[in-house]
Amino acid sequence: MALQSFNLTREMLDHSFAETVAPDKEKLLTCIQCGTCTASCPTAYAMEYTPRQLWRLIQVGLRDEVLRSDTFWLCTTCYSCTIRCPRGIAVTETMATLKRLSVAEGVEKKDRSARFYETFMDVVRDTGRMHETLLMVRWLLRTNPLQALSFAPLGLALLRRGKMPLRPVSIKGVDQIRAMYAKVREMEQKEEILR
Amino acid sequence: MKYAYYPGCTLETAAREYDVSARAVFRELGAELVPIPDWNCCGSSPAESVDYLLSIALPARNLALAEQMGLDIVATCSSCYLSLFKVEKHCQRDPSLRPRLAEILGAAGLTYRGTVRVRHMLDVIANDIGPEKVQARMRRSLRGLRVVPYYGCQTVRPFMEYDGPDLPESMDRLLAAMEADVVPYLYKTRCCGSILITSTKDVGIKLVSDLLAETDGADCVVTVCPLCQMNLDAYQAEVSRKLGRRVNIPVLYLTQLMALAFDLPAQEILLQKNIVSPRPVLEKIGWPAGS
Repeated sequence: MALQSFNLTREMLDHSFAETVAPDKEKLLTCIQCGTCTASCPTAYAMEYTPRQLWRLIQVGLRDEVLRSDTFWLCTTCYSCTIRCPRGIAVTETMATLKRLSVAEGVEKKDRSARFYETFMDVVRDTGRMHETLLMVRWLLRTNPLQALSFAPLGLALLRRGKMPLRPVSIKGVDQIRAMYAKVREMEQKEEILR
Repeated sequence: MKYAYYPGCTLETAAREYDVSARAVFRELGAELVPIPDWNCCGSSPAESVDYLLSIALPARNLALAEQMGLDIVATCSSCYLSLFKVEKHCQRDPSLRPRLAEILGAAGLTYRGTVRVRHMLDVIANDIGPEKVQARMRRSLRGLRVVPYYGCQTVRPFMEYDGPDLPESMDRLLAAMEADVVPYLYKTRCCGSILITSTKDVGIKLVSDLLAETDGADCVVTVCPLCQMNLDAYQAEVSRKLGRRVNIPVLYLTQLMALAFDLPAQEILLQKNIVSPRPVLEKIGWPAGS
């Protein structure tokens, strides 16, 4: 990727950004830009900023530039980078935190991915389980119903093999699940922490 | 040997063949799987993308239920395994997490003391049961069947509890014990694309294509994760278009292949559920009998 330059102004920089996004800020700040993460990442080729570039942007504190990028939305949580990072940075976990933070700030680049994750969690709240059919229907309705057509061949193949039950089943303890969701929301609001 | 069984949501729907064959294989090997009553979704990777505390609390409810049973957990799905496993790791790392988790579980009338060990099904078969017992139970040799062992990512990473992170061998040993011809494969733990195949399809198809492009000459791929199985099995038409050549390779669960080697009845293998039919290549091992 070509070298990118930024005309930095004070307002662009958030010096506590590394602290906000990493479970272990000290480690993230020791990133030596070796690029092992990028070399290990199966989706780096499709990212706006490679993982290596992203850590540098975080170190510098270019908060908006980071949160608006598509990099972490392409993370599949395969942990190749995490186990190889010579500095022991919690790379994969940081990617997940960036997803939450970019949604919290309403700047998520891959909104279809973000809505997919949210719909997944809604289905779990409502039934206690993930149910692929319900998840797909709700997600497509929220994003792009026309896209249902592109999933039709797969849906049919699964239906024919009895692998796509249409009716979701709720667990008996679904009230427990809802109580846990409510408690989590209450704690997050009280402590003013990031979801 | 007795375990609390956590099948995970997919094994109730798109991966019935994994659930049915895993239960049958464990029974044959003298290991008991007791389903966790009223288990809930582990949250998988979407949970941590939406809400950190829920990504700990959802799996923890299952740990609390297993603790009541006094048993360690066996998880069949690699993503479930990691979600359940990481709860204790995160509590150890962050002392403030345990009391908060207790408060969340308390809202559901549950407590968790942290005594449950979480195991991947592959770990239990490879290490608690072992290749020798598997070999002793074998009724049909897999000799001549060229098998690609595909582990997937979260089966071993990031905690590497029972095998290596890049080129694990526990499944290879089990396949060798059943006399299969294990194909050397460098992409054993490279990502299958996970849910990108739904949300960002071009990238997902690229990842699956990379994996399947390296399986030339093999008869089948074997997996231990329902997401890996689905991604490798269900998109071979797209993969063929991308690679410009026809890819048509069956993708079986390890426990299906074991059930074949144990000569269990067809209703405990459910080969009709796999999208690419494994039947043609199974003629090599004389299945079904008399074919």
